[in-house]
Amino acid sequence: MASTTFRVFRFQPDSGDLESYHQDFSLDHEEKTTVLDALLRIQNEQDGTLAVRYSCRSAICGSCACKVNGKTVLACMTQVEEAKAESGSSTLQVDPIGNFAPIKDLVVDMTSFWEKFKAVKPYLIPDGPAPQKERLVPKAAMEKVAKESACILCAACYSECNSLAADPEFVGPAAFAWGYRFAADERDAQRKNRAKLYSGQHGIWDCTRCMFCNERCPKGVDPRDAIEKLGAIAFQEKVTKDKGARHAKAFLISMRTGGKLNEQLVGGLTDPVGGAFNAPLALRMLQKGKLPASPLTHRVKNRDQVTKLIKNVKETI
Amino acid sequence: MREHDVVVVGAGLAGMRAAIAAHEAGVDVALVTKLHPVRSHSGAAQGGINAALGNETEDNTDNHTFDTVKGADYIGDQDAIEILCERAPLEVYQLEHWGAVFSRQEDSGKIAQRPFGGAGFPRTCYAADLTGLVILHTLYTVVVKYNIPTYEEWFVTDLVTDDDGNAVGVVAYDMIHGKIETIGAKAVVMATGGAGRVYRPSTNAHASTGDAMSLALRKGVPLKDMEFMQFHPTTLAANGVLVTEGARGEGGYLLNKDGERFMSEYAPNKLELASRDVVSRAEATEIQEGRGIDGCVLLDLRHLGRDRIMERLPQIRELAIAFAGTDPIEEPIPIRPGAHYHMGGVHVDNWGAAPHMPGLFAAGECSCVSVHGANRLGGNSLLEAVVFGARAGEASAAYAQEAPTPHVPGNAADETQARIEELLLRENGPRQGEIRDELAAVMQEKVGVFREDATLREAKAKVDELKARFQGVTVDDKGKTFNTDLIHTIETGYLLDLADCMVTGAIARHESRGAHSRTDFPDRDDENWMMHTLAYLDDGEIRLDYSPVTMTKYEPQVRSY
Amino acid sequence: MPRQFAYYPGCVAEFSSKELNATTKALAPLLDIELLPMPQATCCGAGDIAEAKPNLYLTLNVRILSEAEEMGADILTICNVCTLNLRRANKMVREDPRLLEQVNGELVNAGARPYRGTIDVTHLLWYLATEEGLSLLEQRGPKGLGGLRVAPYYGCQLLRPSSVMGFEDPDRPQSLERLITALGGEVADYDGKTRCCGFPIILAREEVALRESHVALAGARDAGAQAMVTPCPLCHLAMDAYQRKTEQLMGEEYAMPVLHLPQLIGLALGLPTQTMEFKRHFTSVDEVLQTVGA
Repeated sequence: MASTTFRVFRFQPDSGDLESYHQDFSLDHEEKTTVLDALLRIQNEQDGTLAVRYSCRSAICGSCACKVNGKTVLACMTQVEEAKAESGSSTLQVDPIGNFAPIKDLVVDMTSFWEKFKAVKPYLIPDGPAPQKERLVPKAAMEKVAKESACILCAACYSECNSLAADPEFVGPAAFAWGYRFAADERDAQRKNRAKLYSGQHGIWDCTRCMFCNERCPKGVDPRDAIEKLGAIAFQEKVTKDKGARHAKAFLISMRTGGKLNEQLVGGLTDPVGGAFNAPLALRMLQKGKLPASPLTHRVKNRDQVTKLIKNVKETI
Repeated sequence: MREHDVVVVGAGLAGMRAAIAAHEAGVDVALVTKLHPVRSHSGAAQGGINAALGNETEDNTDNHTFDTVKGADYIGDQDAIEILCERAPLEVYQLEHWGAVFSRQEDSGKIAQRPFGGAGFPRTCYAADLTGLVILHTLYTVVVKYNIPTYEEWFVTDLVTDDDGNAVGVVAYDMIHGKIETIGAKAVVMATGGAGRVYRPSTNAHASTGDAMSLALRKGVPLKDMEFMQFHPTTLAANGVLVTEGARGEGGYLLNKDGERFMSEYAPNKLELASRDVVSRAEATEIQEGRGIDGCVLLDLRHLGRDRIMERLPQIRELAIAFAGTDPIEEPIPIRPGAHYHMGGVHVDNWGAAPHMPGLFAAGECSCVSVHGANRLGGNSLLEAVVFGARAGEASAAYAQEAPTPHVPGNAADETQARIEELLLRENGPRQGEIRDELAAVMQEKVGVFREDATLREAKAKVDELKARFQGVTVDDKGKTFNTDLIHTIETGYLLDLADCMVTGAIARHESRGAHSRTDFPDRDDENWMMHTLAYLDDGEIRLDYSPVTMTKYEPQVRSY
Repeated sequence: MPRQFAYYPGCVAEFSSKELNATTKALAPLLDIELLPMPQATCCGAGDIAEAKPNLYLTLNVRILSEAEEMGADILTICNVCTLNLRRANKMVREDPRLLEQVNGELVNAGARPYRGTIDVTHLLWYLATEEGLSLLEQRGPKGLGGLRVAPYYGCQLLRPSSVMGFEDPDRPQSLERLITALGGEVADYDGKTRCCGFPIILAREEVALRESHVALAGARDAGAQAMVTPCPLCHLAMDAYQRKTEQLMGEEYAMPVLHLPQLIGLALGLPTQTMEFKRHFTSVDEVLQTVGA
């Protein structure tokens, strides 16, 4: 047996109190107990007003994402004793997932999450009538989207997305994992239109690459990688007007000219009007010697190899 | 009041497939679900969906039909099974056309198929070990595409009937906004899934409380074959979480404590791929006779090798590590039989229509058509959900197109309102959790893999006692918003109804057939028991009746694997 | 014998943040490290090339790994982004021999050397935050930081994804804290230390980026930090060069000097301040220098 204090986020709007607080519950439990089991025992034995979303308790329905000691996890998949050992504390703090407003205790309003999911057109849009039997898809082609197909929409990624915290309208990692899942499906006929749809304001180029989504995803979906692959699809479809795409393009040009990054070039190409060239910041950067003058200083040895690679390497996205 | 032509309760595979079919038939259909659709328990199905595509070897509908009839231990209705197997390829192709990411054959690009228990041919289409998730998501994407209105996190508390006894809508508790509302409809499709939570351990989700069955039962609709609860042979000891039959389909062994592949004693031909009831009984026997390890036997996948496990069974590995602390690449997984799938359900015909209540339809695990009879084959539940979901959707739409404007009683929600208010005012009674725990424990102990009269009667007495105690049940949470305590309490009432049907049906059935295995009546008795059980609720008591099994061309045979 | 590394400072340290490169080079002998130049090494692509041309990203990075392999030395970086990109490419080809073969085919075609998969990529922070590294610093008898209250700022790509980085717990990192303490500083702890600085999108989505860097800057300020230290020159640009812009956007004042990791070590080991080129910083470090007594 083991004993744990659970410091649980409480928000009980029915009581008329609109302030949230934390409440401690102590529980004696078996060594092998998940955070969800513990919460349900608290609900059953100590306080029936505790609200939690859950269902399958086998890490597939995606209901029970919450923060345990600040880290977003699936409660059903998290062993209490392991979480304690990891944090070095006999108290586990349980909070609702981030980037959402609370409804009651650990239950949050996920409307924005579902709206954004729908906004990526998360369904197959094929061309022409379906064949009589199945469409033939080579195994390797189907496997291209296998990882993203395992997304359970638990919002663990969304919970800690740094871009979302700064821009609540950012479409976010899970929806883009789904976007990629369809854009890269060879049965879908909307690759280019999807690239356009996903490249707008609050779109893929808003991702700040904080990598929290990859770190937190309980199913190994790696949403950041999906966003990156959507970038590559945008390039392949020549949908590169967005400043973010131009930024990436500038890297390619920079690489072509010398093999190394030329920040001046990158700033200028990303945003010819307001970018590093013209902004007052750029002037100060110049004064501080932070904008080197000549791209010629950037040349690496055996540059011809680089040129050949740029020319020869084919993209397979 | 909100109104639609068709209201579908439950948004798992059967519910969403029904809603899509009704939408395509041109009626205004809405989904009502106590979970968000993607949270439905269909998503936890792992191994696959059967269809005689013949992609791996020659196969045909007749083979599939025969395997299913035999698996059902001959009380599946053969006309329904023929419908199931004939439509199977069409539904699988339809799912593929909608974008389901099925695993593919290496060269041809066709859908890959794996061997499964009780099947004569590799017939199970799959998406690694995430088949249920992939299909559930595929259907949800179609629901999104069609913009089918969905009442998410609305918990249905009542089935509404008009003065003539026709189904004309439901009453539901909108959990987030804390309101009780009536949704009127010309037809109601129930698709709320199974009642596995009557047991513990169970592979089922916490939400699998068989709501529709109880809602229908309370309105006079009979439930069919409730005594048949399937125990899945491979569930994790720690918490009953499912380990797919696909693990054996891919070649996994079952071993006892002496390292013997004991299935050779019980099913010399099919071994680990015998029917589920056969394998579960074999395991239970091994464990009872002292050849288990801490109440378990072992599922050994090591010889499949890392690559195959990672490609075909990635989720199994993840779950075994998380819940059993065992990496199947390195060591065998301790497993045991666990409550998994309920063959019984709302008595409906081949179109999912309830003969006892016009306007009511049911599909999926909460219904009983019956195609699974006494024992369902692995890979047939997802199939049943989509085939009979589609048919219930089509039939309900056709019914709604003909039906007059329903007379939904204006006070339909009052009864629920009054019941809930009374419940919230009640003090000092037992909480639902303890009643649920005691129910699950007695069902597990006395209505399990093996059954006998004396213990079944003890179980019945316990269920009666719990039902009496439930009359005084109290809830802690007196609020309106997301009151899970209230919902669990109502669900516990449902579970008690259903357990009563299961036990009462099991006491009466004096034979062993499929998942219903009586030590005091060890043989199948086709002469007296080749029939469906119908359970009615009369003044709080379960009354049984029986109806014939439809046979077409398959004569009952001795069932061996 | 000093430990030899193939030195991969990354583009930013070579150009706009020269002070970082200069300080690292000056510090190396004190740390018993020999930094071997990599004249052929290109930019790692900073995630941008990966986003535009994933196969090209992989090939270019494997080419860098191959150059180090030829030199017979593991790679040492001083930038989060370079570390992630090189390590990721390394992991990809090491775990998939067929992919390595494909990439090598391209390299050989272009006249470059194929890669065998024998190189490790480490960051200066990781090299020093081990017991050996810390005892090395101790042996150097640091004159110390005079109790300077320093906010460790990790940023993202040295921590996450941990499947690629793997040096420490990405949620409870301690390497910077250990270094700060070992060098006689005081740790100003705060939640924002593992959050994003916003730099990758600072040109494309400036406001979003600045709102992100605000979280860490405000956190460090509220924790009473006299300075922030970071192992990444891109974080440094976001935190230092853009700090005034963030102040303007958020209507707040941080006045937070931001040190490159080698500068913090340099201060403690008594490297001349001119060598560390603090004049290239936007936010004045004068008070830091006073506290440390440099």
